Amino acid sequence: MQLNNFQRLPSQVLLSAVLGLVAALPGRIVAQTVAGQAYGAYASTPLGAVTQSPIAVLPPLAGTDGDMAAVQSGGMTVGGVLSTTFLHSITSGALGTAETTAQSVATTGTTSILNGLITAQSVTAMAASHRTASGAVSSSTGSTFGDLVVAGSRLATGEGVVAPNTRIALPGVGYVVLNEQIASGDGVTSSGLTVNMIHVYLQNPLGGAAGEIVVGSATSSVGS
Amino acid sequence: MAPPLPLRIRVTESTVQEEDESLMTAMQKGLLAGWSLVAAGLLVTACENQTETPNRPAATQHAAFPPHWGGGEECTPLKFTGGGRIDPPNPDFPDGASGVSTMTGKVTFGFNVFLGTDANGNCVVTKGEIEVVDHPSQTSWHVSIHDGANSLDGSEVMAFTYDDDSGRGVCVQVGTNGMLARVNGNQGTEETRLTACDNGEPGSQQPGISSSGPDALNWETLNHGSTDLTYLTGGNIQAH
Repeated sequence: MQLNNFQRLPSQVLLSAVLGLVAALPGRIVAQTVAGQAYGAYASTPLGAVTQSPIAVLPPLAGTDGDMAAVQSGGMTVGGVLSTTFLHSITSGALGTAETTAQSVATTGTTSILNGLITAQSVTAMAASHRTASGAVSSSTGSTFGDLVVAGSRLATGEGVVAPNTRIALPGVGYVVLNEQIASGDGVTSSGLTVNMIHVYLQNPLGGAAGEIVVGSATSSVGS
Repeated sequence: MAPPLPLRIRVTESTVQEEDESLMTAMQKGLLAGWSLVAAGLLVTACENQTETPNRPAATQHAAFPPHWGGGEECTPLKFTGGGRIDPPNPDFPDGASGVSTMTGKVTFGFNVFLGTDANGNCVVTKGEIEVVDHPSQTSWHVSIHDGANSLDGSEVMAFTYDDDSGRGVCVQVGTNGMLARVNGNQGTEETRLTACDNGEPGSQQPGISSSGPDALNWETLNHGSTDLTYLTGGNIQAH
């Protein structure tokens, strides 16, 4: 229908339109998007469950606006599945004429998963994305574990870094992915990153999925 | 004390309408408007709006901190956003750091502030949210500013910007003479001040890697000490 209307217009108007469009193209404004969220913990298991909480979500932004969201919790206990203290989630972002940025950080204090199978004194998940004329990138810099112990093995002393997507088997339980990183975007006009610092995948005896636990999750993304 | 800022006409960003339209839609608009589309576009691009906040109680009751800066105050850029972490003290100090951190260990933060001028020409925060968490002491602070007023006491939150000493970027100081922050939810209030510097991308490096954060942050409190100006070990600060 649009094409038919287009064809019916006078040639003088068509010429004017083409000239106007060509002149306007260099100044064409590309719509930017920005998103971010962070949460302390999540569990979905046969023994207990908790929704993503405390969760901070960056409000929808338009134009050249910016905002921040922050939430906190003194602690959380889900039976023998999960216990953690001092949870904080912060996400911020802004749209600019030349750059767009989003940053998210989720932190927890003393944490115990599956009755001490995994423990940490602190967990920090960090995701930051920004886009400029030179491209779009995301980073997990600043994501750390404090005194992390998995199945009796100490993987971090003090504030330490574990290689992205480190997978460790948990016999009889499933496996855990530490510093799990899920990237998105093309790196040119868009970029996004989700960092799940501790992601336990529970498996049944046949190897099927039986639940999951996440502690420390941060997501940021920018794009157009 | 910093000299009073002269009355200036401040330029805020124009609201940019998102365009996610197809080429055909754009051409149809061109059909209807012709060259007027170009003129309108140029007008929007060049449009500069002046924003002044309503008269607020002057922040004279906030005398918690002496201004760090003795000159060269500006009020641009008009928007700063950031989030991430610092781990004071850093092995290397950014330009402008005192070298003394009385709040040490992991500190995480997020903020978004818009600057403008009040009726007297002072540079103030017109809109903003700030969250800072000191993990060793398990203390958090939150500042919320709407329509040029701190939500806690209704006062203006003074601010200014300046070129980073290194010449790499620009800094903003928010709560020049202090701003009241909520502590640990609703467990009290405290005078605070934020300084944030955008010195390039990426804004941070992992903890333990020396120097060139390059972005830096300083969080000062009346009762819990100060981080000193410290390079980011995660996240980013962006001046818009």
